[in-house]
Amino acid sequence: MDFDYSETQRNLREKVKGVFDTDSKASFAKLESGDDDEIRSVVSRYLKALGQVGYLTLGLENEKDTLGLVAAQESLATISPSLFLSVEVNARIFGRLIAVYGTADQKSQFLHDLKEGRLIGAVALSEGGMNIENNPLNTAGVPFGEGFLVAGEKNYVVNAPIAGWIAIAGTVKENIVFFLIKKGSEGLSIGQRLPTMGYNGMAISTISLKNCSALSKYVIGPFEGEEPLKTIRMWEDQILTAGSLGLMHRCYTTALSYAKHHKSGNKPIIAYQEVGFKLAEMLTLLQTAQLLAYRAAWMAETNNRETSVVAHCAKVFCAESAEEVASQALQILGGHGYIDGNPAEEGYRNAKYLQIAGTSAEISRMKIADRVLQMD
Amino acid sequence: MDFSFTAEQLMFKEQVMRFATKEIVPRVQEHELKGEFDFQSFRKLGEFGILGLHFSEELGGSDVDVVTSVLVGEALGEAGVDGGLTLAYGAHTFLCADTIFAHGTDTQRKKYIPKLASGEWIGCMGLTEPGAGSDVASLATRAKKRGDKYVLNGNKMFITNGPVSDVAVIYAKTGKDLKHAGISAFIVEKGAAGFSTGKNLIKMGVRSSHTSELIFEDCEIPEENLIGQEGAGFTMAMQTVEWDRSALLAPFIGGMTYVLKKCARFAKERYQFGRPIGEFQAIKHKLSDIKIFIEAARSLCYRIAWCKDQGRPLNHLEAAVAKLFVGDWSLNPANDAMVLHGGYGYCHEYEVERYFRDSRLAPIGGGTSEISKRIISKLI
Repeated sequence: MDFDYSETQRNLREKVKGVFDTDSKASFAKLESGDDDEIRSVVSRYLKALGQVGYLTLGLENEKDTLGLVAAQESLATISPSLFLSVEVNARIFGRLIAVYGTADQKSQFLHDLKEGRLIGAVALSEGGMNIENNPLNTAGVPFGEGFLVAGEKNYVVNAPIAGWIAIAGTVKENIVFFLIKKGSEGLSIGQRLPTMGYNGMAISTISLKNCSALSKYVIGPFEGEEPLKTIRMWEDQILTAGSLGLMHRCYTTALSYAKHHKSGNKPIIAYQEVGFKLAEMLTLLQTAQLLAYRAAWMAETNNRETSVVAHCAKVFCAESAEEVASQALQILGGHGYIDGNPAEEGYRNAKYLQIAGTSAEISRMKIADRVLQMD
Repeated sequence: MDFSFTAEQLMFKEQVMRFATKEIVPRVQEHELKGEFDFQSFRKLGEFGILGLHFSEELGGSDVDVVTSVLVGEALGEAGVDGGLTLAYGAHTFLCADTIFAHGTDTQRKKYIPKLASGEWIGCMGLTEPGAGSDVASLATRAKKRGDKYVLNGNKMFITNGPVSDVAVIYAKTGKDLKHAGISAFIVEKGAAGFSTGKNLIKMGVRSSHTSELIFEDCEIPEENLIGQEGAGFTMAMQTVEWDRSALLAPFIGGMTYVLKKCARFAKERYQFGRPIGEFQAIKHKLSDIKIFIEAARSLCYRIAWCKDQGRPLNHLEAAVAKLFVGDWSLNPANDAMVLHGGYGYCHEYEVERYFRDSRLAPIGGGTSEISKRIISKLI
């Protein structure tokens, strides 16, 4: 047993922090309010910087180092929530899809650029009016020339408006495949960026494919079962779990600092139990969530048979705690919290995404219960 | 980071669960219902070695680490041992015996630890008073030096094992005008002149543990019964409450696992509307919330245990966080487990109502949730 970060983990966390300086705040503000080009420019800049400190190789090399991954992710998610999700979708979903399932040629074409932060990728999974938990994918490819013609509609694709390459989940003869499609390809149209409640610096849109050509060398698969979709969902859940920790850190530290400095009746408001006790509850949720997220990561590393159920527990607990912590932080900040542009109101808006995206809280709970029902 | 237990620890946990399932659990319901202390089970815990696990071997212990001690607490709960017996064990081993083991002289250790570790003697600890609960510094029990003796006067309240104990660790003021710095700890034996106990208090839960007032009326004890130095009592008490907030919490978490297994079984066997109720999402929601609580709470206890094993003497923040979470966040899942059983859940036979009542102590005993919040808000 050991509850401390390892030296390597601590170093990488420090390096991640070192990527950002006092000017970063302005970049993050631009990210939250910018157009597609501004978002692309900010994300590209930080991707390169994060590539230099080794952040982007996590999960792509030494795949098993989940604890190291979460430790680093927690650090970035605390610094910029939108940048975090954008970077993670790129590195840990698009990147890992290629690293784990891609061909040797695909790996040599993409992985180097991904690790150095010179490429933005997206992965398109969800489709309108359905989800991948219980419905087949409608997006499909039919053989054509040296590849396939792909048709389908995709919803809520993170990074789509800024990506250079998009992996489209679909089927060929009922087997699951991923078509790697380059930005600007004929037949690929990226929808308008969707205005969202939170994570405003994360570019998200629909995708439409009409007879879009994908060469065979840019196809990952075919896969007989649904394993790759489940694995991607697991990666996504893991990102959202770490994102929840970052959100809680931001909200908690903001509220703590405010409560220590803002005075009422000649004393800092933390001295009042109505405020101090809220902070105590927030820290309790944060630390409990942290330990659970790290234990889930440790289980993944050690191939524990409870890995999947504890990962679901962690996703639900961390995401729901994040909403609670954000709500309490906003309450402590009072009027200041209600004004745009502080971590508490931003966290409050962001928090819901964490419960909806990936495996939703509802589906997670049903999966947890299925496992519990096998207990005895 | 590493959340693993050693193979030996896991094997020992299995052994404890097998022992408890066979020897203790069949006796639990009857004693709980009657509110009787189960002396036989307590002695069996001693024979198995559980009462003195972390004490050194020459004093009758097994020299295990704190993590293993916490794991054993979880194992007892998980096997189905009631909160009353695990509380009696916790108060005996961690609140009483450990204080003598950690701070006592060699003579004191040799005199008391072997008998406490074997279960021949039962121990209790008296800190709380009728008028001093959370505010420890305000305690009113006095110990006055007279010749080679101390004379104790005052009352202690809600003392687990009070009516059944042979040895008590008692906190009293030696420095009249001092607050924390005036608190000292003493060993008082059953039968000491001027020492008596009140009647067993009837409680909502943990009913197989006996709780009472301790009364000191010009109670004379030899001066060698002082533990450590005069004025060192508060620090000892603070180290003790860390046990309260780790090892004593573990049985609640193990108990929740026991209850969850019962819930899973019931949800599969109970049919309504032509199918097992475990197929309804409302029931599955409850099952998963209980599971989430268990997974969230476990590491909190082991973190404190690990910190202690690393030789970190005081871990107030970690202890308060664990206590607050287990205390306050266990209420809903404990309720869910009972409600999931419908009318059966409200009946004694199904055990979930016992767990529901027992777990209500978690936000109160060993420092209330409010005290945990107070500690955290002062440390951050």
